[in-house]
Amino acid sequence: MDPHPGIVSGSNSNRSEPDESGFEFLQFREEIQRLMTVPPENASSFTALLELPATKAMELLHSPHSDNGSPAPISGDPLRRIDEDSKPYLPSVNGHLTFPSNKVLTERAAKLSVFSAGEHSPETSSVPSNSSANLEKVKSEPAETDSNPDSSQPLVSDPTVENKTQRPTKRKEREKKGKGSSKKSKNESSQDALMLPYVHVRARRGQATDSHSLAERARREKINARMKLLQELVPGCSKISGTALVLDEIINHVQSLQRQVEFLSMRLAAVNPRIDFNLDSLFATESGSLVDSNFPGMVSPLVWSEIPFEGNRQHYQQQWHFDAIHQPLWGREEDNHTFITPENSLLSYDSANSAALHSNQVKMEL
Amino acid sequence: MIFSPLIRRRRTSSRMLNSSSLKQEFLKKWIMGLQRCTSSNKNMSILERKKAIKLSADLAMASARNGRTSWSRAVIANASRESDKRILAERILQGPESEILLKKVSAMSVRMRSKKIVKRSCRSVRRSVPQKSLAANSIAKRLVQKRTHVLKSLVPGGEFMDEICLIEETLDYIAYLRAQVDVMRCIATAPELIIKRNSE
Repeated sequence: MDPHPGIVSGSNSNRSEPDESGFEFLQFREEIQRLMTVPPENASSFTALLELPATKAMELLHSPHSDNGSPAPISGDPLRRIDEDSKPYLPSVNGHLTFPSNKVLTERAAKLSVFSAGEHSPETSSVPSNSSANLEKVKSEPAETDSNPDSSQPLVSDPTVENKTQRPTKRKEREKKGKGSSKKSKNESSQDALMLPYVHVRARRGQATDSHSLAERARREKINARMKLLQELVPGCSKISGTALVLDEIINHVQSLQRQVEFLSMRLAAVNPRIDFNLDSLFATESGSLVDSNFPGMVSPLVWSEIPFEGNRQHYQQQWHFDAIHQPLWGREEDNHTFITPENSLLSYDSANSAALHSNQVKMEL
Repeated sequence: MIFSPLIRRRRTSSRMLNSSSLKQEFLKKWIMGLQRCTSSNKNMSILERKKAIKLSADLAMASARNGRTSWSRAVIANASRESDKRILAERILQGPESEILLKKVSAMSVRMRSKKIVKRSCRSVRRSVPQKSLAANSIAKRLVQKRTHVLKSLVPGGEFMDEICLIEETLDYIAYLRAQVDVMRCIATAPELIIKRNSE
């Protein structure tokens, strides 16, 4: 299946990385420490650098970097790329900062997952939430993230690759506030309906890192992911925002479907003098074509679609006081069509015959 | 840790909704069930017939799931709890896999009973907590809670599930309801088409 190669390659990259990571980690540590001595304003931590406005930080960064090797395009390009790509997701200004202006540095960062910095962690935590949210696109995302640690956009792919790598605890020396060390499980890609994804959890900057809140957040993100699936399933739900309204729509949909089942079963019972009579005769006359053919094939030549149904149901409902059981919200019915005459005639025949008797019986039953 | 997602994915993928095959399965089982349950009782009133139709439809769909989803188990459990339905249910559900299913269902009903007790005791404790009614967050939360409660009452067997499972079950249940409605509608409207075709 499609998700498997992505996950397998991810695990492969996991295993291969620790080999080189030890060696490169040391090199990188030196560079980081060099960077850390740069900022004049604050104490010796990267968090100080993070709080600087973008331009100032860039200056500070570029001055030690200028002798560092390959001349990377120190332009607004990485910045702009980050902004464009992560604009819907970045919660704060910190996200506009980019440390790795050096391309070599960025690639090493990709492999080492060192840059779990503050401005990246919004990206990382928002990328998994994004990927868990957009379940149709999730299939491409794991493939991307797994297969290019050195893509043309290192800055954006860094955090996503970091997600897949192990995070040794020695990273904590870098004093990132809010860096959680809890990685719940791998993100899964999803097919249409029921591939429910696992959810990455990563503590964002400034949020508590105790296990309770992380668990809370994981749970909430799981729930949100599944709500997204539901929204796609229920028609007309994708435009609505807000859990309560979406739940409202879902409840209405389920209720209407249940009512339809009730009504259809009553109708079937009314139409047939015996239960299986119609089916037998049906299959005899149609010579099994109904059973054998595909339902989509059967549906299309049929005239009904959803047309006469709702109108008749209203008519019947008033008669049978289904309102007593359910709480119909008639304004929310999605189908609003005109009648079909043969349908109507048949039903009126039925109702005329059995109306009085049924309404009494149904009232008693209800 | 790498293997658990694979295993879990295989389990959820087994629930993938292939709607036309679903409908065919459902139709087959439904017809079989109907034939079985009407073989004895020839003169049923219309309401009994309706009940029988609906019940056999529910059970057919539930058995099509083979007890993989919890709402299907709940449907069967409900059916087997009421005495008059139980006979029908047992007759409908005859078959090779029915014994396994019934065993699962009985196990599940025991679990549900114990969960009911736990919930009742929890509810009595919860009432004593004072509610802050001013924060917008809490208002939104309460709205969501109310609706979740309604949804729990709609989905069969939903009252004893946590939210995550509830949403998954709702997904499945909606797919099932849609399939059922489509099939029943086809059958209900087929005679008119036959008449029409014959008259042409």
